[in-house]
Amino acid sequence: MPSRRHVLLAGGGLLAGLAWPRLPLAGSPAEIRMQGKADGSHVWFDPIGLHVEPGQIIRWINLDPGNSHTATAYHPKNADHPLRIPDGAEPWNSDYLLPNETFSVMLTVEGVYDFFCIPHEHAGMVGRIVVGRPGSPPKESAHQTIPDIALQAFPSIDEIMQRGAVRRT
Amino acid sequence: MIFRFAVAAIGIAALTISALAADQVEKAPPSGAYKKVSELVKLPDFLPGLGQLYVDPKTLPAGPFLAYDHDGKLVSTVYMLPIEDLTNKDKRFDDLAAPGGKVDHVDVYFNAGHPGVEKPHAHVVLWHVPKAAETRVAGQ
Ligand SMILES: [Cu+2]
Repeated sequence: MPSRRHVLLAGGGLLAGLAWPRLPLAGSPAEIRMQGKADGSHVWFDPIGLHVEPGQIIRWINLDPGNSHTATAYHPKNADHPLRIPDGAEPWNSDYLLPNETFSVMLTVEGVYDFFCIPHEHAGMVGRIVVGRPGSPPKESAHQTIPDIALQAFPSIDEIMQRGAVRRT
Repeated sequence: MIFRFAVAAIGIAALTISALAADQVEKAPPSGAYKKVSELVKLPDFLPGLGQLYVDPKTLPAGPFLAYDHDGKLVSTVYMLPIEDLTNKDKRFDDLAAPGGKVDHVDVYFNAGHPGVEKPHAHVVLWHVPKAAETRVAGQ
């Protein structure tokens, strides 16, 4: 059983008003597992790419018995990281999750959301969620301070849309 | 006068010896400046494959980290060396402390990072117990 629960409602003002009648959609959370090899030599999100409908709850769970992980949106509010979530969407940061701890968000703004694990961004532990229709992809610019290994790890939007969930274990 | 100097010198020598001998590391918790890693950063208290870790925060990231089994017995001394430092010709790790005594064998392997040592690094593990006793820190 998860020993701690966080729920964060992201996506801004929509939740306060007209969006409420759509909340029953949120019934079954989509799960993203934080995993790692026993010796800590490899860590990853599973799935690494996920397509959900607006308003569905996404839940991260740390299934790695020997490490702590975070699910953290690419956003200037999170330690000055570049913006890689839709304009108008609220960023989230789970903070460190110990084994079996969970963290959930609800994303209501359609688009592409990239996120990372704070202690493992330099090991390429990142993921991508597409909410509804992807719209325009995250802006790539020369001065973005993302490690190459993380940039190369994002699955393509096409692959996420075709397969629903992209796994790379 | 000479006598008083001699007494002072003996006093200083005694202090130095006791300071050197003070760090008890055989049993958890080790004495001295060592702190439990799970209280310094958010990590599980017992790490499968390593055990319960203590480190002097001033020595981060390299360590030594002292690793203990469930009975609080020292099983290994671990150094964590960032890959970017190991491939930097101007960076060295010199004179790392090794308080754990006799070493039975050594493991070296890659680690993707964890709170405390976030950059990908190498674990250099000096085992103070035989290979067969590594199971004492295997699971939960
Ligand atoms: Cu991680």
